[in-house]
Amino acid sequence: MLGGVKSVMPADRGLRLEFLRDKRRAQRFYKQLSKLYDTWLRDLFWTEEMRDFGVEMAELSPGMRVLDVGCGTGFLTQGILRQTEDVYGLDITIHQIEKALKKVRIPIVRGDAEQLPFKGETFDAVLSSGSIEYWPSPVTALREMWRVLNPGGTALVGGPTRPKDGVYRLLADNMMFFYDQGEAREMFSEAGFLDVEVAYTGPVWKRDLAIVTRGSKPG
Amino acid sequence: MKRDLMEILCCPVCKGDLELEVDVEEEEILEGKLICNSCNEVYEIKEGIPNLLPPDLR
Repeated sequence: MLGGVKSVMPADRGLRLEFLRDKRRAQRFYKQLSKLYDTWLRDLFWTEEMRDFGVEMAELSPGMRVLDVGCGTGFLTQGILRQTEDVYGLDITIHQIEKALKKVRIPIVRGDAEQLPFKGETFDAVLSSGSIEYWPSPVTALREMWRVLNPGGTALVGGPTRPKDGVYRLLADNMMFFYDQGEAREMFSEAGFLDVEVAYTGPVWKRDLAIVTRGSKPG
Repeated sequence: MKRDLMEILCCPVCKGDLELEVDVEEEEILEGKLICNSCNEVYEIKEGIPNLLPPDLR
């Protein structure tokens, strides 16, 4: 397993990853991860400060209908709910959904980011954090976000940046997909988004731990 | 799931409209099925959560 995947070109299917490209395997992985996640992983890698940075960048307002793709245990969802009540969640793993539903009282459906079960032009904003790094085809998922957005709607996606060194980098390279600012712009543009903006955020110990990308569907 | 969720759901595979078939309903629909009018795929609702994963990912 510790071998290969490297340079990540955001071309569809070109960046399938060894470990989690099998979505069933991804589901099992997440079943285990969800047990650990809310206890310590989340606090370490994805802080409230970072979450709020992302939510602010999405410029939500009360009354907006928002979808959280890969809502996991509902951490970002809680941040979105501070801005608007009309929030929906989607996750591939039932265990994560069950955990999320203990925290947030919103509709959550089980589904795949690359094949969203929502009608076109349904949401004013679609947000996602900590999910894109496991999507086998990010551009396909971004196109789906575009489809379900209302004209003029906003997509915002946060993912991790590539670790600079150490064992974590070795592990991460084999489990996750990383992209830089240029690749983020390329993926969003390829999916049809305009006015693409990229920003970095992170906890005190690593201020560029996450890359956040925002784009608009033409109005 | 609540009934009004039907307004925004569609088949994840062909994006066709879904038809709701309810087996158990209290305040919300707890058990049932969502059937695609276009491709006839069947999606289950279990313990209130609709499973809209495409068949190959279930």
